[in-house]
Amino acid sequence: MIAKIVCYTLNGLAGVPVEVETDVNKGIPAYDMVGLPDTAVKESKERVRSALKNSGFQFPVGKITVNLAPADLKKEGASYDLAVAVSLLKASEQLVGAATEDYVFLGELALSGDLRPISGLLPILISAKGHGFSRFIIPAANAPEARFLSGAEIYPAETLTEVVRHLSGILRLVPLETAQYAPHPSSGGGADLKFVKGQPVARRALEIAVAGGHNLLMVGPPGTGKTMLARCLPTIMPDLTFAEALEITKIHSVAGILGEEGVVTERPFRTPHHTATTVSMCGGGNTRVHPGEISLAHGGVLFLDELPEYKRSTLEALRQPLEDGVITVARAGGAFTYPARFMLCASMNPCPCGNYGSANKTCTCTPAEIRAYRKKISGPLLDRIDLQVEVDNVAYDDLTSPEMCESSASVKARVEAVRAIERNRFEGSAIHTNAEMGEREIALYCKLDREGDSILRAAFERLDLSARARARIIKVARTVADLDASEYILPRHVFEAVSYRTYDKMG
Amino acid sequence: MQYSEEERAYLWLCACTELDDRTRVSVLRGAGDPAALFEGYPVPGAGKDRRGEAERFLSSLEKKGYFALTLLSEDYPENLKAISDPPLVLYGMGRRELLKERKFCIVGSRRTPAAALAFGKELAKTLSRQFVIVTGLAEGGDSAAIAGAAESGNLISVLPCGLDECYPAAHASLKARIAERGMLLSEYVPGAKVAKYAFFARNRLLAGLADGVFVLSAGKKSGTLITADRAAEYGRDVFALPYNVGVAQGEGCNDLIKKGAYLVTCAEDILSVYGFEEEKGEAASFTEEEERVLAVLKEKGEAHLAEVAEALGMRVFEVSALLSALELKGAAAKAGGNRYAAV
Repeated sequence: MIAKIVCYTLNGLAGVPVEVETDVNKGIPAYDMVGLPDTAVKESKERVRSALKNSGFQFPVGKITVNLAPADLKKEGASYDLAVAVSLLKASEQLVGAATEDYVFLGELALSGDLRPISGLLPILISAKGHGFSRFIIPAANAPEARFLSGAEIYPAETLTEVVRHLSGILRLVPLETAQYAPHPSSGGGADLKFVKGQPVARRALEIAVAGGHNLLMVGPPGTGKTMLARCLPTIMPDLTFAEALEITKIHSVAGILGEEGVVTERPFRTPHHTATTVSMCGGGNTRVHPGEISLAHGGVLFLDELPEYKRSTLEALRQPLEDGVITVARAGGAFTYPARFMLCASMNPCPCGNYGSANKTCTCTPAEIRAYRKKISGPLLDRIDLQVEVDNVAYDDLTSPEMCESSASVKARVEAVRAIERNRFEGSAIHTNAEMGEREIALYCKLDREGDSILRAAFERLDLSARARARIIKVARTVADLDASEYILPRHVFEAVSYRTYDKMG
Repeated sequence: MQYSEEERAYLWLCACTELDDRTRVSVLRGAGDPAALFEGYPVPGAGKDRRGEAERFLSSLEKKGYFALTLLSEDYPENLKAISDPPLVLYGMGRRELLKERKFCIVGSRRTPAAALAFGKELAKTLSRQFVIVTGLAEGGDSAAIAGAAESGNLISVLPCGLDECYPAAHASLKARIAERGMLLSEYVPGAKVAKYAFFARNRLLAGLADGVFVLSAGKKSGTLITADRAAEYGRDVFALPYNVGVAQGEGCNDLIKKGAYLVTCAEDILSVYGFEEEKGEAASFTEEEERVLAVLKEKGEAHLAEVAEALGMRVFEVSALLSALELKGAAAKAGGNRYAAV
């Protein structure tokens, strides 16, 4: 007889149903698998054979054909094991009368018959639920990420035997209880702004950057705390909402880097090393298209330490996702779209020796060397970085004002207030933060009075700014005004925004 | 551009033969009237079609928008004629009439502190109302002088290479801007590449052209000092910006002052030497808060943002907005590392 079992595969972040059809015929014993399986899928033969035997079932003798439909879609990975095993049992009539039609089977088999966790379970469940499936059998080890999905019967199983007992009604599995998502503030790995000594300018820039969703570049000599400041970014970002958490969890699930909690509750902070390739940054791969660092940083921070050391092509590849918030990776096997709305935070030295502009050390670089160093970062990329601040190596021992050691929590409170203003402002549109405003929104929400306009004009002449920089300055001024709880952008806000164009001035 | 017969012959000798300047001078002396060169006066290694060569060379200059002037030309700068080794020919591009104006030279090393750069720019701007500013094309001091004088266009930039070359290459657009608003000058035939010795030779032109030389910054062994030396040799006034003890970029300046150069802290110091009064531009007006920030900066010299904020009891970001405003008004300059200085 022919058995049909439903299983799922992933295409980017979207689940695609795959029917596993198995037919056992009389004839010379053979086991064929068709429907574009890759090596890992083909090897499921041996795993399934041992798993069946070790669970006390019989591996059918005869000519076995397993078809994975749709036949033109490439099947990858080991997540079909359970579905293949169940369909074999069904086809060889060892599982009579069990209703398997409305179930989706997911899981990899161990030789002993134990179920192993698979990656990308959450996005599969979400898509399958959307396709009308409501009953799932999943590996018990995947239960933590599945428990946040409500409105579906999800049965976590430890072994193949448990699955068979459940299907034949001997011993029902206990359905998973839906868990409530509880946001909790990012621990940031112990980072907190209160441990950062001084750096009032950078602190303020961090606050503005997070409040308005702006990208940030920190320029300073080695050892001044640029990395430490960057690590504090997640601690002042607003808590994840459930929708955001689910979205991030999906990506991390596909990448197989989900922690034990099962859902991502903290904003990601990704720090790819500067040897990173374009593919590792943007996503891709030969057999499977993996999400890249920019997608893993979705909803959080992508920190690029020593920006000029990154490959130019890798940095240029960031430009489009920085604008669009998504990345589409096209390969011969198809195009895959992953979300990539991240905050870019970069750091660099002011010059090759690192002492340019230092109070007590002399810079030994020639202007040509400095120019060559800075040229590594292209204008268009810089244009997308709204805030550029200097991090200096001043000892702040003598300075006692409270803003020198403010904690992340109190900065976060101000950030949340501004985010609330932004939510109000952009209600009903696809925009979340000031940084995402287009020309139309700028005209609508960022009116400058005559004085502000003349300040900008003067700044342009003096700093020789590009036309794109104008829009950037206005957006930052909008965020500064929001932090000031001011409805209008006042001259002092424009002045402050202009002061964050350090890099343009250095050039 | 019209050239007289003498000028043509002169130019032919200087641009179309491969002699050194000393031989050229002795040839000219021997010929008496330069026009005799076209009449077959013997010149070692010269071709036959001398007139044709001269024509072709001149039309190639014309095509690129360059002009040439010789020691015979009526507008060859008098100042330059007076030095011991004036260039026989000068090539120029831009506003030729600037040659007749009174000139003043501003030079500085490539490594000039930010506050000095801002000072140099303001100074160049003020002086360019009375003088044509003469400088080079390098980064640092030269660029500051260019930035200050570019607006009025009273600016001559002297290159150490042919006019169609650009060193540093990154200043190509700056060079084009100078050619448009002011003037480029060189003693080298178009196409001549940059050579080390050319900078020394060029520095003598900077000093030779100008009535006085202001040194914005100079390390102990800075090339800028060569310009100052030449200026002293030619009897020009030398001015220098004073520096703190221990600031490497200013040691040369302080040495100059020790040797008797004028100490300059404002444009007035230079203008008064030449009997000019400073034409006050529209004085920038400051708000009360800006005045307070300025007062702190002046008292401390160079100060970190946080220090200023502490002194005034203000928030750091409020001060950075104020300083940004002062910077735009040209009253403060960023010195790197979040430090600012009053200008």
